Amino acid sequence: MAIFGPRANLFMNVALAAAAVLVAVLLLAIWVVPVSGYNTQKRYRPQQPVPFSHQHHVSGLGLDCRYCHTAVEVSSNAGMPPTETCMTCHSQIWTNAALLAPVRQSLAEKKPLRWTRVYTLPDYVYFDHSIHVAKGVGCTECHGPIGDMSLTWKASTLEMRWCLSCHRDPAPHLRPKDQVFNPHWHRTSDTPSGKQLMAEYHIHPETLTDCGVCHR
Amino acid sequence: MSGGNETAGRNYWRTLQELADSTEFAAAVEREAPRFRDMLGTLDRRRFLQLMAASLALGGLSGCGPEAEPRQLLPYVEQPPDLVPGRWRHYATATTHEGYATGVLISHQMARPVKVEGNPDHPASRGAASALIQASILTLYDPRRSHTIVRDGQIESWQSLVGALFERRNALRKNGGDGLRLLTGTVTSPTLAAQIAALQQAFPAMRWHQWEPLARDNEMLAARQALGRPCELTYDLGPADAIFAVESDLISAAPGHLAYARQFAARRRPAETDGTMSRVYAIESTPTLIGAKADHRLPLKPAEIDLALRYLAAAVGAGPQQWAQRPTPHAEWLSAAAEDLMQHRGRALVHVGREQPLQSHLLAQAINGALGGFGTTVKPIEPVMAAPMLQQQSLRELFADIGAGKVETLVMLDTNPVYSAPAELDVAAALRQVKLSVSLSLYVDETAAASNWHVPLAHEYEAWGDARAFDGTVSIQQPQVRRLYGGRSPLELLAVLLGDTQPEDRAIVRQFWQQEAQRLGGGDFERFWHEALRHGLIEQTAAAPLSATPPGDLARHVPDAAPEAPGTVRTTLLFRPDEGVRDGRYADNAWLLEMPRPLTRLTWDNAALLAPTTAQKLGIKNEDVIEIATGAAKLLAPVFVLPGQAADCITLPLGFGRRGGGLGAGIGFDAYRLRGGNDPWSAAAVSIKKTGATMQLASIQGHDHVAARDLIHEGSLGQYRKDPKFMKQVETDQSLYPPYEYPGRAWAMAIDLNSCIGCQACVIACQAENNIPTVGKELVLQSRVMHWLRIDRYYSGPPDNPDVAFEPMPCMHCENAPCEVVCPVHATVHDHEGLNLMVYNRCIGTRFCSNNCPYKVRRFNFFAYAMNEERVPESWNPEVTVRGRGVMEKCTYCIQRIRTTEIDADRESRKIHDGEVVTACQQSCPTQAIVFGNRNDHDSAVAKRKASPLDYVLLEDLNTRPRTSYTGLIRNPNPAIKKGET
Repeated sequence: MAIFGPRANLFMNVALAAAAVLVAVLLLAIWVVPVSGYNTQKRYRPQQPVPFSHQHHVSGLGLDCRYCHTAVEVSSNAGMPPTETCMTCHSQIWTNAALLAPVRQSLAEKKPLRWTRVYTLPDYVYFDHSIHVAKGVGCTECHGPIGDMSLTWKASTLEMRWCLSCHRDPAPHLRPKDQVFNPHWHRTSDTPSGKQLMAEYHIHPETLTDCGVCHR
Repeated sequence: MSGGNETAGRNYWRTLQELADSTEFAAAVEREAPRFRDMLGTLDRRRFLQLMAASLALGGLSGCGPEAEPRQLLPYVEQPPDLVPGRWRHYATATTHEGYATGVLISHQMARPVKVEGNPDHPASRGAASALIQASILTLYDPRRSHTIVRDGQIESWQSLVGALFERRNALRKNGGDGLRLLTGTVTSPTLAAQIAALQQAFPAMRWHQWEPLARDNEMLAARQALGRPCELTYDLGPADAIFAVESDLISAAPGHLAYARQFAARRRPAETDGTMSRVYAIESTPTLIGAKADHRLPLKPAEIDLALRYLAAAVGAGPQQWAQRPTPHAEWLSAAAEDLMQHRGRALVHVGREQPLQSHLLAQAINGALGGFGTTVKPIEPVMAAPMLQQQSLRELFADIGAGKVETLVMLDTNPVYSAPAELDVAAALRQVKLSVSLSLYVDETAAASNWHVPLAHEYEAWGDARAFDGTVSIQQPQVRRLYGGRSPLELLAVLLGDTQPEDRAIVRQFWQQEAQRLGGGDFERFWHEALRHGLIEQTAAAPLSATPPGDLARHVPDAAPEAPGTVRTTLLFRPDEGVRDGRYADNAWLLEMPRPLTRLTWDNAALLAPTTAQKLGIKNEDVIEIATGAAKLLAPVFVLPGQAADCITLPLGFGRRGGGLGAGIGFDAYRLRGGNDPWSAAAVSIKKTGATMQLASIQGHDHVAARDLIHEGSLGQYRKDPKFMKQVETDQSLYPPYEYPGRAWAMAIDLNSCIGCQACVIACQAENNIPTVGKELVLQSRVMHWLRIDRYYSGPPDNPDVAFEPMPCMHCENAPCEVVCPVHATVHDHEGLNLMVYNRCIGTRFCSNNCPYKVRRFNFFAYAMNEERVPESWNPEVTVRGRGVMEKCTYCIQRIRTTEIDADRESRKIHDGEVVTACQQSCPTQAIVFGNRNDHDSAVAKRKASPLDYVLLEDLNTRPRTSYTGLIRNPNPAIKKGET
C-alpha cells in the first residue's frame, strides 16, 4: 500500500489553507480584539442601583456639574455626591418614588450607595480632573454627550492613543473657561481659536507627552 | 583621585572581604553580575527559541479583554466637611518611644492614614521622622496584631473582663488595694499619670512598677546625684564646638535625638558656615552613629573607657590629678582631646550613652561642670517622666514580691517582661503565682501568653492619649482611624479599675485637660483643645529649666570601678539595643526587620559583633555560629566581624529571638537570655566555642558593587580653609554632542555627606511613600532587596578602627542616562524637566537598564512581592503605582509629589516656589542632608548646594551628568593628634 493515498494531496491543500486561515484569524484577533468595543467597552452602560439620568438633571433641570461633583476643580478626583446631596432635593420632591428607595435606604442605614464604575483607568495611570478643567477642557470632551444621557455610558475608549491624541494636539479640544461645564457648548465664529486659548492657558504640548505626566 | 594629598592615599572598602580582596569576594561579584557564559550551559539554542516564540505569542494575549469585575464607586452618605477626595489631609498627633513623644503629622487619603511625617512645630521632631516613626504606620495595619480579648486561652468579651476587674476591685477596696500592682513602661503621659495617682488614692496599698528593657537608669541616677535633685538633662548642640561622645546615642536613639541630630549636623557643614565646624571625639566599645561621624574615634573596652574618662576628668581639672598618672592607653590622644575641650570652655559637651555605668555618667557630668557646660550645652530640666524610678530595681522588687506571695493582681500596660526581664527572673513562672494578671499589648506576645487575661492594645494612632517630649512639651494624641482590630487604650483599662464600666478615652483625656487648661491660664477650653489638636502640641508645657550645676568635687566621690583581675583577658559581652527593633518591641515590623542596619548593613537577623582582631584571635570567621556561655546560660549566635568594634568585646544586639508576637517570632537569637539584672549592659563570657556550624547573614553591603571607583570625596577642614576648591576636578565636557537644554524647571537633588549620619530614616520614608515591598531574608541574600534608596557605608583605614563615610544612593537621574539607551521598549525615558522616568506598563523586564546602570540603583520585581504583602490594600499610598511582577523600578524623585505640586501651581497659574516640592527622603531626614528643588532657580536651596566648592557627582568621568550630586566629606581632625593614632 502506498504511503500516500489518492486524496493525500487534497488533505494537504486543505490543511495548508486552514493553517493560513488560522494564522490570519489569529493575527486579526490580536489586532482587532484590543481595539474592539468588547475590549475598550466604549458605550458600556452598566445597570446602576438608581437609574440616575444626567439628561433629566443637567439638561432638564439645569443643574451645574459641580453641584454634585464638587471636587472637580480642586482635586484629581471629581468626587461623587454623597447621599445627602441627593436628599437635598429628594427629601422635598419625589419623596416616595420607588426608584429612589435605595437612596432613602442609604440615608436611613448610613450605608453608601454602590454605583458601578463606568470609566475605569488602569492603576498605573494618574488622571487629574482639576488641571483639565482649569485648562479649558470641557466635561463633554471625555464624557461625551453626558448631559443627554438617560443612563451614563462610556463615551470614550480611554485607550492611551485617545489620551495622546489630545495631549499631542490640545488646540481643537479647548474652550473658554466659562464654558467648561456647559454640556451643549459648540464652537462658534466668535470663540477664540484653539491656538489663542493655548497661549492664554500656557499649554505647552511638547511637555504634555512626557510619560511622567500620567504614569508615576 | 581628585582630592589633595590626604585623600589621594585613601582606599575605601565596604566589607572586610573586599579589603582582603579575596577570591571569595570576586566570586560573589561574579555571582551577582553573571556573565553570559553561565547561561550558555543551561539552555540550548532550540529551547531558547522555543521559549522566546512562546512568550512572544502569549505575551500579547495577557493584555486582552476588559476587566472581569466591574469596579464600584462608593460615595459617602454624609461627606465630612472639608474632605476633598483625592487630596491629602494631615492630622497632628504624637508617637511615643520609650515613653517620650515625638510630634508627627499623619497624611490621610480619603480618611485613611497612609504616611507619617514629622511635625515641623514639634521640638522633638522639627519636621523629621525616624525610621521607627516611619515604620509605625505598618504596625498600625499589621493583620498579625491581636484582635481579641483572651482569658486563659479562651476568647472573652470586654464585658466579662470588666466584670472580672470589678469583682477584683470590690475585693481590693476592702483591703486598701493590698496585692494590687501596676507594671508600665516609662510614663510621661500626664493623663495616665493622673489616673495612676487616682488609683493610688483609691488603693493606698497599690504599688506602681516601671520597666523598660533599655532603661536609662544610670543616666538618670547620675543626673540626680550630680545636681542633688531629680532632673533630666537636655543638650544644646548649637554652641557645642567640641563634643566628646562616650558610646553616645545622642543623635541616634536618645529622647530628642532627631532634634539633636539636626543641631549636630548644622555644625558639620563648613561650606555653609564660613569654614567653621565642630570637632567630635568618640570613644566606644560598640560603634555608634556619632562615632562614625567623629573626627577622632577610639574603640575602647569598657574598663578602658572608665580609665579614659578619669584621665580626661583629671586633665580638665574635674578630678584628682592621680587619675592622670595611671597607665592609660592612648594618653596622648586623650590629653590632646582634653586640651581641645578646655580651649572651648563653655562650648564643649561630653555625652555618655545609656549603656555606660553610673560612674562614667558621673564623671561626664563632672567634666561638663568643669568645662562650664551647664547652662550652655547641658540644660537640666525638671523631670519629664511622671515618676522617675530605677526601673531595674523596680522590676526586681515586683518579682520579689510575687515570689513572696504578696501580689494578687497585676496589670501590665504595654510591657513584655516575660521576654525582656533579666535572665535570672523566671517571669512566666512568677506570673502563674499571681491570681489575676492582665496584659495589655499590641500582639499576643510572650507576656500575653503567660497572663490570665490578654487585652489587645489599641495602636497609638487609634486611641486618645497624651505624652511629653524630651523637653517636656505635651502633645495630645488623637486617633487617626477607627480601631482596626478592636483594642483598648491603657487609659480605658485603668478607668475600669477606677470604677468606670464604659470608659471612653476621649472623655478621659478631655476631662483631664479641662482641669489643666484652667491651671495653664484658663480661657475658652474648646479653643484650647482645638489648638492643641491642630498644632500637635500644647504651648508652654516644656519642663522648667533648672539652673543647677554639679559641685566642683563631684568626680572625687565617684567610686572606682571594680578592678579587673590582672592577667585574665576575658571576653566581655555587651548588650546593646538593635537599631531597628530596639528592645524587641518593633520586631514584628517587616520594614524594620529588612532595614539594613547602618554599620553592619544586616537585615532580618542579629549577630554577635566581633572586632577583626578578636575574631582572628579566636579563630572565628564571619557567619560562624559560636556558642557563648556565661555563668548562667548559653547561647548560639552567628558572628559578624565588625570593623571598629573594641577588642575582646562581643556585642549582642537585643530585640531578636522573640517567642511570641507577630512576624518577628523566631527571627535571630535572644540575647536577653544572657542579660542579668545587676549589670544589664555587659557580662563576662565564660567560654566562647566554635560549633562548626555556619549561618548565612543577609548583609547587603556586599551587594551592588560599584567596582572600585572614586565615590567618596573627602578632605580635612584645613585643606578646605586653605583652598575651598581643593576637591574640584578640572571640568571637562567630554561629549561630542551639545548638551540637552532644560529651559524650564530642572529637578535636582543635593546630598550632603557631612550631614548624613546613616540613620536610615530616609530609607524607610521612601519605602512608606513609594509602596516598596519587603522581600524576606532568602531574597535579600540573592541581592533582591527592593529599597529605592540605600545608604552605602564605606570604610577607609585600618579594619580595627576605620573612618566611616555614609553615602545615600538614590537614582542619580543622569542627563545622559545609560539605562535609557539600552531599553528595547523605551520603558525608561527622560522628560522635559530632566527626570529619568520609569514607565512600569511598558517594562518587559529585560533588566538591561539595571545592568547598564553604573550606580546600581535599579530594582527588579523578580516575584509579585507587592501582591504577597500581608498588609491590607487600603494601606498603600494611592498616589504611587503598586508594581507587579517582572517590572523594573527605581527612585522617581517622588514624582507623585512633583506632579501634585506642579498641577496645583499650574492650576493657580503661579510659579512653584523653592521648598514646595519635598521628597519623602528629604522630609524625613533629621539632619537636612538631602535637598531637592529646581536647579535652574539660582536662589533655590539645591542650586546653592550645587554651587558649593565641595559639590561633586559620582563617576563624573562616565559623563552621565547626574542630577543628584554630593557635598564632599570634610573631617575636622585635631592637628595635635597624629595620624595613625586616629
